[in-house]
Amino acid sequence: MNIRFRLNGREVEIEAGADARLLDVLREDLHLTGTKEGCGEGECGACTVLLDGQPVNSCLLLAPQADGCDVVTIEGLAEGAHLHPIQEAFVEEGAVQCGFCTPGFILATYSLLRANPEPTDEEILTALEGNLCRCTGYSRILAAVRLAAARLLAQRPAAPQPVAAAETPEAE
Amino acid sequence: MDYIRVTSEDELATALRRDGAVLLAGGTDLMVKMRGWAIRPSLLVDISRVDSLRRVSTSSDGAVIGSAARVADLLANSTLCVRYPLLAAVLRSLGSVQIRNRATLGGNLANASPAADSALALLAYDARVSLAGGAAERTLPLAEFLQGPRRTALQHGEYLRAIDLPAPRADWIPFFHKVGRRRALTIAIASVAGLLAFRDGDIVDARLAAGSVAPTPLRLHSVEQLVVGRHVDDALVATAAATATRAVAPIADVRATASYRREVAGELVARFLREAGGLAPASL
Ligand SMILES: Cc1cc2nc3c(=O)[nH]c(=O)nc-3n(C[C@H](O)[C@H](O)[C@H](O)COP(=O)(O)OP(=O)(O)OC[C@H]3O[C@@H](n4cnc5c(N)ncnc54)[C@H](O)[C@@H]3O)c2cc1C
Repeated sequence: MNIRFRLNGREVEIEAGADARLLDVLREDLHLTGTKEGCGEGECGACTVLLDGQPVNSCLLLAPQADGCDVVTIEGLAEGAHLHPIQEAFVEEGAVQCGFCTPGFILATYSLLRANPEPTDEEILTALEGNLCRCTGYSRILAAVRLAAARLLAQRPAAPQPVAAAETPEAE
Repeated sequence: MDYIRVTSEDELATALRRDGAVLLAGGTDLMVKMRGWAIRPSLLVDISRVDSLRRVSTSSDGAVIGSAARVADLLANSTLCVRYPLLAAVLRSLGSVQIRNRATLGGNLANASPAADSALALLAYDARVSLAGGAAERTLPLAEFLQGPRRTALQHGEYLRAIDLPAPRADWIPFFHKVGRRRALTIAIASVAGLLAFRDGDIVDARLAAGSVAPTPLRLHSVEQLVVGRHVDDALVATAAATATRAVAPIADVRATASYRREVAGELVARFLREAGGLAPASL
């Protein structure tokens, strides 16, 4: 079948079997091997990609189902040699050991922080419940997400001050 | 295997008449089964972009949920979640973020697992399902649609169109608890969902449903009959729990023994009555 979709901001067009999973097409045909196959059954999240902005398991998705969609893989986050702030935070906090689960965790984090820039720990854990890590014990991952959230928040342009606020006398 | 993506229900009905055609919604059940070679469809009919099947409408009469509506979309629908908090509670516990972004309500029901979480809330709300694609569209109570593990009332060529919920009572107290190995991504060992309404301290309406404890998710009618008209005290809690353990018919499998499942079902019913009736939690 002929399948077209946007992949990390570029249009791609490929031929794939009707039973090819998006995961296979990404790794085998498009040579983007950052997306990993762990369990192959939607339990571990190593194959997480963003489909129209939302995290999904690419092992449970047929490539034809991505036709016409926007797909982002871990390769789509860094800008040239500059890692994304979430990737930097994972490196700095030591949230990576064997690294196999990391792309999935980072994409799940990316989607969380875009929707909710200041998540509570509970919200972080809920957003990451579809991702398993067998090395870190999760506390470094939680720390990395907190750090990434703080950095991204600091980078955001300050919200315009409401006019009324400027007129309010300092009440201290 | 072939794949087609239909964009209307007319196309869907035509495609489903072909031999070996299997309907594909979110794929979160189907892809796992195909990987395990449990099923080998010759044609997958993808309904995930049929707009009429993804529609959700709420009114004072109730709600109509298209079968291909995704769990994440339902959770983002605040009107629906405020009016049907038990459905929201159950959907929040389904799978993980990744699964909820693909999984559909229709897929959860048509897959007919004894553990299907959404069925518990939908049974409690007295949901009906409408089936189309056959000689004539028909609607039936969800309890009749779910016939056994992997068995539903769907005939060849039929598909699940929508799930209809009657208007809810405003004073229902919801309860949902799923017992499993971990919180996320877990198939329940046993689960109970329910709705209770009180007047002057007496239970006036009771809906209780249990999952993973019988061939299908099921309503606990005998417990409901027992508690309606009563006020909650320790004696009622004990009898209700015992009645629940007799109302279920669990199997033993890798996740739990049958007798443990019975105990859990009884305990969850007891917890619900205690919480809703304002009794202190039982000391362990
Ligand atoms: C990791 C993981 C965790 C999960 N956790 C849970 C959980 O916590 N609770 C739970 O209840 N389930 C869980 N599931 C199961 C699954 O995600 C749900 O049952 C989901 O709702 C299925 O919907 P779907 O759209 O993905 O179905 P699909 O896989 O597309 O379809 C499932 C079946 O239903 C049929 N079907 C789908 N739509 C229709 C229709 N409109 N008319 C007729 N037939 C139809 C298909 O032909 C197929 O046989 C989990 C699955 C995975 C992989």
